[in-house]
Amino acid sequence: MSMNQKINLRVWLKIPDAEAATVKNTLIRRLGFGNALADVKKERLFSIEVDSGDPQELARSFARELVNENKESHIVLIDELKFEEGYVPVKVALHIEDGEAISIRERLRSRLGFDNVVDVKKATVWKLYFNTLKPEAQMAAREIAERLLINPHKDSYEIMSQ
Amino acid sequence: MKIAVLQFPGTNCEFETLVAVKEVGMGGEIFRWNRSAGELSGFDGFVIPGGFSYQDRLRAGVIASKEPVMSALKEEAGKGKPIIGICNGFQILVETGLLPGSANGCDKGSGNVDMALAQNVMVSQGKIVRRGYYCDWVNLRHEAPSKRCSGSFAIERGALLKIPIAHGEGNLVTTTPGLMKKLNDEGQVVFRYCDRNGRIINEFPFNVNGSTESIAAICNEPGNVLGMMPHPERAFFAWQLPAFDPRKQRPDEPGPGRRVFESMKRYIEVNA
Repeated sequence: MSMNQKINLRVWLKIPDAEAATVKNTLIRRLGFGNALADVKKERLFSIEVDSGDPQELARSFARELVNENKESHIVLIDELKFEEGYVPVKVALHIEDGEAISIRERLRSRLGFDNVVDVKKATVWKLYFNTLKPEAQMAAREIAERLLINPHKDSYEIMSQ
Repeated sequence: MKIAVLQFPGTNCEFETLVAVKEVGMGGEIFRWNRSAGELSGFDGFVIPGGFSYQDRLRAGVIASKEPVMSALKEEAGKGKPIIGICNGFQILVETGLLPGSANGCDKGSGNVDMALAQNVMVSQGKIVRRGYYCDWVNLRHEAPSKRCSGSFAIERGALLKIPIAHGEGNLVTTTPGLMKKLNDEGQVVFRYCDRNGRIINEFPFNVNGSTESIAAICNEPGNVLGMMPHPERAFFAWQLPAFDPRKQRPDEPGPGRRVFESMKRYIEVNA
């Protein structure tokens, strides 16, 4: 039985997020979501699988490397990934080879000495705030993902549970 | 003969592209994205130049592809007018669904996206050796028959061009079944990256971004819409060539990129 643990780092900007603002603007002005959509926020998600070590301590070390505390905040979740109420979280990740995730894994393992790192996955979580009720919001989130957030030839998406 | 060089927020090659358009004898002007889209119908052809429209937010080209001007451009494409997308322009055309496109794909409302220009991943001997933004001079081999495509109309098959690239997302990928075969069978692959002798070597540094089958440029099914990652406007004059190229010492000679703009002009003349 595998003893591997997964360290999830949810990272978001403390300063205004221009990319999230552009996505919100495009959804409202160009794609017709003006009545349904209230706000858009964005997080980066790193999921780092380790085969040994204290995950909380490792998470602090990884955060020092992957999070810029001058402009970003983060939280750590070990072996779970949950989100707050009030928005629909849409996780977007590459389904083709993710060169950046591979580079992060190699940097942690080879250059920073974290031999216990088994795998690194990277994603963006779009937090979509709606004015509508939950079933309609989930449907709108899917439509937003497919019409704007992903290019299906390289990205996949998942509506995350809360 | 009047060409619109489209300008989005973040476009950064519009002025040199307009110089290239005018140097081959076409008229033209820079067309801002927020002008009335209906004005596009007054032009004979279009160039979407390189740059970083909307700072490449979300992914390169996607925000610009949602602008009303792109719906109007689809209508112009449906009339058979030539459109050349260079670098970011290629990315915008892909996200709009104009490339690889089809005869029906030029209809307004058809927005199928059949491929992506993903992040560069440079592979050599099975290993990733670099990734991300990269700029260099590359060699291109013209793959399509002459007259197949507006932007290479006057270029013979097999011709080699040395032109620079500068991008972070030029790695052509697709999950559309049969698309690569169709592109090859129907002559829609216009340029491939190659070595200086024209050999296709599908790994870095010859394939500079990991693009499927070393593809650097494609056209739509009718041939009027061309998308290319390399920048022909940056190799328009011989003096723009790199120092190690002997043609740089003959500054009065045309640069290899000039042939793309001459092709566009010839295409319009023949199809007028």
